[in-house]
Amino acid sequence: MTLVVGFAPGKDDRSGLELGALLARSDGDDLRIVTAAPARWPTPVAGGTDREYADWARAHGEAAVAEATALMAQIDPDVRVKAAWVEGRSASSVLLSQAGKHGARAVVVGSGQAGAYGQVHLSSTADVLLHSASVPVAIAPRGFDAPAGSTVTRATCAFRGDEQSRRTLAATAEVCARTGAALRVATFAVRGRTMYPPETGLRDEDMVMEAWIEQTNALQAEALATIGEPRPDDVRAVVADGRTWQSAMDRLDWQRGDLLVVGSSRAGLASRLFLGPNATKILRASPVPVLVVP
Amino acid sequence: MAGLSQQLLRRKPFAQPRGAHDGPELARTLGTFSLMMFGVGATVGTGIFFVLQEAVPDAGPAVMVSFLVAGVAAGLSALCYAELASSIPVSGSTYSFTYHSMGELMAMVIAACVLLEYGVAASAVAVGWSGYFNELLNSLFGFQLPDALSYSPVPYEDDVTGLVNLPAVVLVFLCTILLIRGASESAKVNTIMVLIKLGVLLLFVVVALTAFRADRFDHFFASGSAGISAAAGTIFFSFIGLDAVSTAGEEVKDPQRALPRAIMGALVIVVGVYLLVAFAGVGSQPLAEFSSDEQQSAGLSVILENITGSSIPGTVVAAGAVISIFSVTLVTLYGQTRILFAMGRDRMLPDRFASVDSRTMTPTFNTIVVGVVVSLIAGFVPADYLWDTVSIGTLVAFSVVAISILILRRTQPGLERPFRVPGYPVTPVITVVACVYVLSGLAAITWVIFSVWLAIVLAFYFLWGRRHSRLESGDHEGATR
Repeated sequence: MTLVVGFAPGKDDRSGLELGALLARSDGDDLRIVTAAPARWPTPVAGGTDREYADWARAHGEAAVAEATALMAQIDPDVRVKAAWVEGRSASSVLLSQAGKHGARAVVVGSGQAGAYGQVHLSSTADVLLHSASVPVAIAPRGFDAPAGSTVTRATCAFRGDEQSRRTLAATAEVCARTGAALRVATFAVRGRTMYPPETGLRDEDMVMEAWIEQTNALQAEALATIGEPRPDDVRAVVADGRTWQSAMDRLDWQRGDLLVVGSSRAGLASRLFLGPNATKILRASPVPVLVVP
Repeated sequence: MAGLSQQLLRRKPFAQPRGAHDGPELARTLGTFSLMMFGVGATVGTGIFFVLQEAVPDAGPAVMVSFLVAGVAAGLSALCYAELASSIPVSGSTYSFTYHSMGELMAMVIAACVLLEYGVAASAVAVGWSGYFNELLNSLFGFQLPDALSYSPVPYEDDVTGLVNLPAVVLVFLCTILLIRGASESAKVNTIMVLIKLGVLLLFVVVALTAFRADRFDHFFASGSAGISAAAGTIFFSFIGLDAVSTAGEEVKDPQRALPRAIMGALVIVVGVYLLVAFAGVGSQPLAEFSSDEQQSAGLSVILENITGSSIPGTVVAAGAVISIFSVTLVTLYGQTRILFAMGRDRMLPDRFASVDSRTMTPTFNTIVVGVVVSLIAGFVPADYLWDTVSIGTLVAFSVVAISILILRRTQPGLERPFRVPGYPVTPVITVVACVYVLSGLAAITWVIFSVWLAIVLAFYFLWGRRHSRLESGDHEGATR
């Protein structure tokens, strides 16, 4: 299978390539690195200016291909890579059409340079992908790099107990089966804000959260029992609570080789990704690469 | 299966709170002043916007005394409440305290009371809101909803009736949606609401005093003691919320000093504001006006319009009331859902009341049930029946709190009490006396409603709760702490 990796030249951002290489090493996929070049104005008779523009776009694309190929040679010369530049209206539409054309397993992008180091940041391209892709999208935190030769060692499923979570868990189990990674089911319990004035006391939301954790523990056990074969060797379930998504996320231990798997809501169009508000918060708080699955 | 008497008297064991959350459970960050503002914020607005039109016909000018009596009873109750709240750190209000201190049967009696207190209060406040909302529509756009859509179909004396009180139903529906989405009123919003409420009431006082005539206070005690206690019973409803101070006690740096100061401070402010409103109101128009049809809803706005002949001050009051009463309804509904949640956790109610929606992380089923019941009451029962019903529930609950202080001091002398009631044992005893005095003034129909409701709750307990209680199965794991 192929992974389509988005690459923007000249941005000093190799996080997407690093994540692509890590995933490719883990399950033997090959990479197709794609750079979007601005499309020409669709005129039947191209004038001088149009030809000049087309030449510039071609040069831009070829430079990007050269840069990506050189970077991949540094990152991991053993991964099978094809780099290409493709004309299109936007980076996201190019990546989606390439993913469809090559039957890609997932689209991989980096975090760009806007967010904090070590955190996932949604660039405008990633944002569009998360609202319109029909294949999983993997996003690397800013500045992500994987040690040479390393693979995914543990996949964490963000689980909240509904039907969607079960699908996410199945997708995570599939990743574990392909890569031999351990499986961790994690539920993030974020304590609601207390109502002021606190008519019935300030502990109400703790009570609600405890009930939710109990409920979720039972649902986790139930869902884990239904995972099909091959079952990962190492399966764990955890609940991380906190007052904010970030503090709940920080309560879990994270290590190199971790991948967080988040499900998307079905609120969007059928079979398209659509991130709900909580999934978005989890994603932004994640210190490890995130795979968003439909 | 335990024997019946064992079942009725079994108490919830005291468990150590689970320290599973980040850092300390609650940082003790509140000072006396913020706590006092909680008290004022939770109290002002529950009844003062509607209660004059109910209480003045009962007590005449002596309604001032009724306010004082109700205020003293509420303040004493809040002090007793504070001792319980500080020594039994659990959520779920009076119901949970009683379960720990007096056993399951009394806990159910109290549950019946607080369900009235919160559920019916939310309905009553929504009905009051509806009156001001209509008034606001009328003065801003010159039209208002027809009577059929503004009044309940149940007759009360010779008041106007309609089909359904639509604005009240819509308000409860909106609050329900907000609560399902996990909205919560922050301390900041609360402060803004307090300022709006106080500002609007002060505006009323200032404008009403321009029409003040001292002779309206002639025959001060004409209605006698019965009139005063009847009015105090109705008025008591407008002091609900003072207990919010007690429940926030664990967040205070020095509870023994800060709590009584905050409770008393809040009480002085609230009683002061109420007395001013009552004084200005009674002095501004003849007594008979208070019972007129036009003042049945949006009373304060109508008084101002009659005095000034201009709609501007009345409109401002109505707008302030519409904004701030919305938040009162939200908070009261929230309190109701959390009490049912605590009961569901104890399996005194079906499990579903304690189930949390996995997407929104709020008790959705529970909130919808509360929303439906409260909106039905708000839509179809006149507020006149509601206020007294709320008062009776609250007064009985407060009496039980005071009694359980006496009981706990004897049975659990070693219990750690960060706050102790000053003047023990006189204070709890006077609290009970004050509450009973106010209770004595309530109408017979109120007692009938209360008794029927209590019978329903207890029947449910004997037929269902008793057998399903978490204490019955010996499973304390998820007990609320």
